[in-house]
Amino acid sequence: MILSGWEAVFFWVFSIAAIFAGLLTVMARNTIHSALFLISSLVSVAALFILLQAEFIAGVQILVYVGGVMVLFLFVIMLVNVGEEERGQEEIFNRKRQVTTSVIFCGLLAAGLLYAINEGYKGFLKRDEVKIQAGTAERQAREQRMATAATGSSRITRETERVGGSLYRFASLPFEIASVLLLVAIIGSVMLARTLKQEAAVDDAAPDELQQEAAHDPEVLEAHNTL
Amino acid sequence: MHFFMLKLFSPAFGLLFQEATSEPMHTAWEKAQHPDLSRFLVIGALLFIIGVAGVLTRRNIIVIFMSIELILNAANLNFIALSRYLQETGNVNAVAGQIFAVFVIVVAAAEAAIGLGIVIALYRNKETIWVDEIDILKW
Repeated sequence: MILSGWEAVFFWVFSIAAIFAGLLTVMARNTIHSALFLISSLVSVAALFILLQAEFIAGVQILVYVGGVMVLFLFVIMLVNVGEEERGQEEIFNRKRQVTTSVIFCGLLAAGLLYAINEGYKGFLKRDEVKIQAGTAERQAREQRMATAATGSSRITRETERVGGSLYRFASLPFEIASVLLLVAIIGSVMLARTLKQEAAVDDAAPDELQQEAAHDPEVLEAHNTL
Repeated sequence: MHFFMLKLFSPAFGLLFQEATSEPMHTAWEKAQHPDLSRFLVIGALLFIIGVAGVLTRRNIIVIFMSIELILNAANLNFIALSRYLQETGNVNAVAGQIFAVFVIVVAAAEAAIGLGIVIALYRNKETIWVDEIDILKW
């Protein structure tokens, strides 16, 4: 897979944007700024997905991550108090010794990963030329068969259709398991985020804790008694 | 030692070090004009390391969750890049990497929902989001 021309330009632009936005996510003092930098990093990676001809994943990335998960993050930031951090009254990093150790560890990890990529890539370069040529021929024939778009300037890819077909054909059991996982996550997060009053209303709170809380908030006991 | 360092960092900084010393500069420029699979893998590795650094150094639990999202995203980038590599090297219908990326996104969404629920429950009980103050399991 070798990009060239404008693709290469876009590759460098988006990869540098993704890495800088990632760095700023980790280093920003304001948590909201962190979230916004994470959004720009995710969008840049989605653009890299488009360069890799994975349009469906790029769309899912933007819809699910940026549209769903990041909005959830922003709501939670709203619910907790991060004012001291923003005003500079709290240290945003751990103590110096821990940070030094982690940075050394990350440096070693970076060296190891880059070395592994460098060594492993030699194996990737050993390819079966006959197979590549057959694949290229098939891909070109497939591109000829693709329908042209209404403007006539481009062709309509069938990549998404292929991904969807393979998803249901080869991964239907994991797909069902993923749906159960999401259901469990929904129920779990609703259970976790309840207040004591809501727990008392369905008789799900510890009795001693309930009495303790009722001492300065009689509404809790009321909710429990109206059961 | 010097040679080892050059060898170590050549995929990421080959542009700066190896080609600049061993070959004329324009070869490095040529290489930068045609990024291949290894460049995508390097970008994925760098994003992963930024995420790990965020998890290890930050005190704010919400930013730690964001760093975990960065890590998962770096893994996704690797999956997609290798899937594309397989498509280019003969197996035209290889989309296993993309399907795996879908599941990674699903798990990331579930993890974010549960994790942020825990953050809210924790904040309600302990009035803090600093991970070094959440230490009741320690004693």
